[in-house]
Amino acid sequence: MIWRHPVFAGLTLALTLITVASEEVGVSVRDAWVRKTPPGVAMMAGYMALRNDTSQSQVLVAANSPGFETVTIHRTIVKDGMTGMVHASQIELTPGASLIFTPGGYHLMLMNPKRTLRAGDRVDINLEFRSGLRLPVSFEVRK
Amino acid sequence: MKKRPLKSSIMITTVALAAMLAGAWLAATYRENDSRAVLLPDQVMTLFPDPKPLTAFALTDHRNRVFDLASLKGKWSFLFFGFTHCPDICPTTLAILARARDNIAKDAVGAENIQIVFISVDPNRDTADKLKQYVTYFNAALLGVTGDDAQIGNLAGQLGAVYQVAITPGMENYPVNHTAAVFLVDPQARYHAVFTPPLDAEVIRKRFKVLRELEGAKAT
Repeated sequence: MIWRHPVFAGLTLALTLITVASEEVGVSVRDAWVRKTPPGVAMMAGYMALRNDTSQSQVLVAANSPGFETVTIHRTIVKDGMTGMVHASQIELTPGASLIFTPGGYHLMLMNPKRTLRAGDRVDINLEFRSGLRLPVSFEVRK
Repeated sequence: MKKRPLKSSIMITTVALAAMLAGAWLAATYRENDSRAVLLPDQVMTLFPDPKPLTAFALTDHRNRVFDLASLKGKWSFLFFGFTHCPDICPTTLAILARARDNIAKDAVGAENIQIVFISVDPNRDTADKLKQYVTYFNAALLGVTGDDAQIGNLAGQLGAVYQVAITPGMENYPVNHTAAVFLVDPQARYHAVFTPPLDAEVIRKRFKVLRELEGAKAT
C-alpha cells in the first residue's frame, strides 16, 4: 500500500501544505491605507488594491480589526444625483482579478477606532474570504 | 426628501451637447448672455455663461455667526454639501478642496477672495463645535455651515443639490445621501459653475484661475 508509505504520506502532506501556502500568498493586498480623520470623528475609511492570483474565485465576505469596533465593506455609489453608501455583502474576485478600494468607490468603513490614530501609525485589518482564507493586512494611516 | 428638478436633467443634456460642440473651448464659447452651459473638455467643470443670482437664505457658521446671502458677496465660494459622519466622500472632497485652496494661494491673485464652505445637511449630529473641529482640520480657512432643514433645503434647491437624511431612532449611524458636486458661487452671489467628481485639486486650481481672470477682465 504505497499511500501508507511514510515517504509518500510525507510527500502528500508537503504538497498539501505548499498548495495551502500558495493559496494564501495568492490573494494579495498592496497600498493599504486608512485616511486620518479630524479629531472626534468616529468614522474612517480604509483603501487598498486587492488581487486574486489563486486558481479559484475568492469571495470577500467580511472584515474585522482589533483596532475598530466594526469594519464593514462599503461602496460609495451615485443614485438619483446623490452620493450614498451601500453595504457590499460579498465581493467575488475571479482568478487573476483585481479590485481597487479607492476614495469614491469601494472602501472599508471603519467605525469607532479604539485609539487615536496618527499619520504613520499602522492598524491591522483582517479580510475574511468564503473559502475560509483569512488575510491579515497592515494598513498605514495617512493624512 | 428632495428630487432632482427637471431643470437639472435638461441642464445635463444641454451640457452634454455643449461638450460635443466645444472644439475651441473657453475663449470661443464663453460669451456674455450665452445661455449654453459649457462643459470643459476634462468633464470636471461645467460653466454657466449666464450665472444664476441666488436669493435670500439663512444659515449659521461654525463660529455661530450668520451665514446668508451677504456672506457670499465679494468672494468666490466653493460650496460642498455633506455631513461629518461620512467616512469616504466628504473627507476625500474636503481634502481635495483644502489642497486646491493651497494651490490657488500660490497663484498671483492668491486665495484671499475665496472661501470653501462645507454645508452639513445633518444638523441633528453636526453642531457648530463639531463642524469647527471637522472643517478646520482640513484647512484653518475652511468654513462649516448648517441650519434648519428648511434653510438648508432653500440653498440646496437653488443650486440643484439634493440630499436625504434617514434619521432612524436608536441608530447611531443612520444613512445620509447627498450631491457630491462642488458648487462655485461668484462674488456677486450668482451660481456660476459646478465641479463634478472625480475631483482633482490641480484641475480645480487651473479652471478657477482661467475663470477668475475672465471675470476680472470683465469687471474692469
